[in-house]
Amino acid sequence: MSMQDVIRVEHLSKSFNGLPVIRNLSLSIKRGAVFGLLGANGAGKSTTIECMLGTKKADSGRVTILGKNPWKERKQLFQRVGVQFQEAHYQEKITVQELCEVTQSFYKKTDNYKKLLEQFGIFEKRKNFVSELSGGQRQRLFIVLALIPQPEVVFLDELTTGLDARARRDVWKILTSLKKKGLTIFLTSHFMDEVENLCDGICILRKGQMVFHGTVEDAIASSPFDKFEDTYLWYTEEEMGNEYL
Amino acid sequence: MSTFRTMLKTELKLSLRGMDMFIFAICMPLIVLVILGIIYEDNPAFHGADYTFLQQSFGALVTISILAGGVMGLPLVISEYRSKKILKRFKVTPVTPVMILFVQLVIYALYAVASLLLLYLVAVLFFNFQLVGSWFYFLGGYFLVMLSIFSIGMMVGGLAPNTKTASVLAILLYFPMLIFSGATLPYEVMPEALQRVADIMPMTQGIKLIKVASLGMEMDHVLLPIMVMAIVAVICTVLSIKFFKWE
Repeated sequence: MSMQDVIRVEHLSKSFNGLPVIRNLSLSIKRGAVFGLLGANGAGKSTTIECMLGTKKADSGRVTILGKNPWKERKQLFQRVGVQFQEAHYQEKITVQELCEVTQSFYKKTDNYKKLLEQFGIFEKRKNFVSELSGGQRQRLFIVLALIPQPEVVFLDELTTGLDARARRDVWKILTSLKKKGLTIFLTSHFMDEVENLCDGICILRKGQMVFHGTVEDAIASSPFDKFEDTYLWYTEEEMGNEYL
Repeated sequence: MSTFRTMLKTELKLSLRGMDMFIFAICMPLIVLVILGIIYEDNPAFHGADYTFLQQSFGALVTISILAGGVMGLPLVISEYRSKKILKRFKVTPVTPVMILFVQLVIYALYAVASLLLLYLVAVLFFNFQLVGSWFYFLGGYFLVMLSIFSIGMMVGGLAPNTKTASVLAILLYFPMLIFSGATLPYEVMPEALQRVADIMPMTQGIKLIKVASLGMEMDHVLLPIMVMAIVAVICTVLSIKFFKWE
């Protein structure tokens, strides 16, 4: 592993009630890369992200982000890391603008949230309650919140779920331009066109176990298929037949 | 703008949009004051007393909003933020638990002080009220009660595993202290047996302290209430910060 690694996961394991959810997962991600964590629902993607961020405690293993331990150096680390969780969590009667202002106030160095809202096409919604936004608008708002600290690394859990085709393309474009400026992106997604479009590296999880780690091209080459979606399904469903024999 | 000022401004707006603290911490003590004022006018507290019934009760009435904010407002907002996973989102930002708790503490302190000012104005303007004791001791007692009641609320909010437990605990703390500590039902009219039971509650001790100060009585027998309040405040604050749970 080189000094260039911005995210490093070593031998991460986690069980719930004796059932393993993540099994001995190791990853490393370089600065400026877009990394996709893939897998079916329940494969352990969100748990992996949460163990990496320290919102859940792993049973064993080590995580460093930007050389810092998310448990012990939380305050310093999250000055430089943005996070969008799969579900949006917000106060009941808070407006878009208020949520952005509070988020901005947490950080030393920030981007102008009004500019970000405009980029993501929800500037005219700034006076609305967050609860009044559509699912897609709320999704975009929480990507904006993750980008407010001008992060060096951003975690996006299911970044475009609920967005229409146009909005997805817009989000891809913004992320690609941020990547060019050196942003490292860790994402999960259920859209294989999105993964092909954005990701330099991927990891496919099946029942908490890494079944593939490499590039999209390598994945396709290692399978009997020539389309990535088929490859992905083959990896996530392989041996499925055997289980029911 | 600083984290503290921005959070305070926003959380205060959210709290006012919710209305419940406006009702329980601002309107309710005022209503009790007006009722007592109308019933007792400026009659003495008891035959031969050199202070009025209202003067005797004022020290108790000012604690109603402390109680509403401290053991209802604080624990409920903290446990709600936890169960809605707002605290989980805060955990992946640089904000500290101390800041989150402190902002809420200041909000409920503002409600309490607003209620104190309103009660004082109404009592003076409409019911011939005068604070005969020392303002210095009165405010000293007042803020000590606030500190200890708020610390109980922070501990409940910080440690309760879910919103349901938090609201049950809030109710168990709120109603007995509201009714039996002398905050609403005057301690002096309670039968002696009930007074003994009431004495166990930290709130009763606090009200005694404020009453002595507001009536300008001799400051003996106040060491015990002061100690009780201070010890409760220290223990609960330490526990709530040490065992703060994000999720």
